[in-house]
Amino acid sequence: MLLDVTGITNLTSNIWELCLSGPFPYQRVQAGQFINILINQGKDHILRRPISIAEVDTNKKSLTIVFRVVGQGTEWLSQRQVGDQLNIIGPLGTGFQLPAKNSKVVVVGGGIGVPPLYQLVKELKQITNDLTIILGFRNQADCFWVERFAKLGQVLVATNDGSFGTKGFVTDLLDTKANYEYLYSCGPRGMLQALKNHCQGINIQGYVSLEERMACGVGACYGCVCSSADRKLHYRICKEGPVFNWEEVAL
Amino acid sequence: MSNPNLAVELAGLKLKNPVMPASGCFGFGREYSNYYPLSQLGAVVVKATTLEPRLGNPTPRVTEVTAGMLNAIGLANPGVEKVITQELPWLAKQDVPIIVNVAGSTEREYCRVVEEISNSGYAQAIELNVSCPNVKLGGLTFGADPKVLANLIKKVKKVSAVPLFVKLSPNVTDIQDLAIAAEAAGADGLSLINTLIGMQIDIKTRKPVLANKIGGLSGPAIKPVAVRMVYQVAQVVKIPIIGMGGIYSGIDALEFIMAGASAVMVGTANFTNPMACPKIIKEIADFMAAEGIESLEEIRGCAL
Repeated sequence: MLLDVTGITNLTSNIWELCLSGPFPYQRVQAGQFINILINQGKDHILRRPISIAEVDTNKKSLTIVFRVVGQGTEWLSQRQVGDQLNIIGPLGTGFQLPAKNSKVVVVGGGIGVPPLYQLVKELKQITNDLTIILGFRNQADCFWVERFAKLGQVLVATNDGSFGTKGFVTDLLDTKANYEYLYSCGPRGMLQALKNHCQGINIQGYVSLEERMACGVGACYGCVCSSADRKLHYRICKEGPVFNWEEVAL
Repeated sequence: MSNPNLAVELAGLKLKNPVMPASGCFGFGREYSNYYPLSQLGAVVVKATTLEPRLGNPTPRVTEVTAGMLNAIGLANPGVEKVITQELPWLAKQDVPIIVNVAGSTEREYCRVVEEISNSGYAQAIELNVSCPNVKLGGLTFGADPKVLANLIKKVKKVSAVPLFVKLSPNVTDIQDLAIAAEAAGADGLSLINTLIGMQIDIKTRKPVLANKIGGLSGPAIKPVAVRMVYQVAQVVKIPIIGMGGIYSGIDALEFIMAGASAVMVGTANFTNPMACPKIIKEIADFMAAEGIESLEEIRGCAL
């Protein structure tokens, strides 16, 4: 389907926010799902770029994505202007499973893994008031959307160099004695591993959103797999994921 | 304008049109059935099936290159038993001929899988995969030497009740030698080409991008190579050829048909556009109508 670019904003040196509107099954979106975007008619760049949905507004019929420029495809995407159209497929994949009502929840995002948690937090707000948001960035210059999250709940920020928030890592801000029942996270694989290790021995349901190079994005090619916890099976990140219960997968 | 007839016949297999998804690019059909009825296709060619389940290679398994992609999936599949009990029964209800791609590490493995698939009754044809560049054993071991290939085909033919198509690799010195050997050994048809072996290096990590280091190049980048190889093979065999390699449009498909292919397979294009196959079928029909071509037989091999 073709969506109109209705806004594009530069958030940090290499991170961009893109707003889209047009015919799309907004009602069907589950927080944590992604769209697959065709780059420049698919001529030189034949693989679509999978980008998580950061926010969906069913009333305004719009959705927001945030992406980091990592190569020529995302570079092209960052050069789109209001009025341009994008050929997209979606929503794709399996998103976050929401917790039981009034649960104690912590949401942990790292870097470009922060935006996919925004729609989730919006939905969590309808379910519980006991919500802690922990965001991690490399440094102050890389921080984005902190205020946006702050409007939804208490936000704790860690930066590696301490230039914003607490110096250190997201794990330094995650109190394992706080009796959280659910943890939702998206970020670098190393951060997800560290979180899981950090939470070892406490009774918490953890859900993580994973990333991998994709080809088809719909589950047909088996390009983007991850291993099950016992390493005997593979799951497709684009189909069974990108969100998994962290007990199910080998991080 | 006449109403063109897209039907083709391949070794006794009647297809309503010459377009089918290529093995490995379409899973077992379920995912793309969310986009259009699979009955629109000439046939569905399912993912390579081996005797035992295979997990395939570590990730990253795919990466984009200019006008193409590299893959090193490594024949990930649930194994022949699950394919027969869990995948093919569903596909058989979709009103479309099924071609099962069979891979193996030994002659014995190939024969057992072919026999089980053939006996299952679900497959209208079998495609013998002797050209996967991404596995250590099998794959090219059987596809690079005419004598080894001929021996395998003879053995497999004995246990197959359905037509056997042999999928040839472009990663050989002379594809004509292999095509001739395959025909002489009893292949009912040939499909070509599989992917070309390639590599991409990440200059930041200074290492190959793919965990497998090398992978198969597919997409528009390989089309001229594929057309040339179909053209060469069409000159030396009488059995039908299924052409593939970078087909994205009706024009691309027609090039292969004019080079001598009776039918075509569409691979990577499915990833760029899930509706690629129906689009290509329509574009072939539009061309035939515009040019007053009633049957594809009129133009098959016309460039030779």
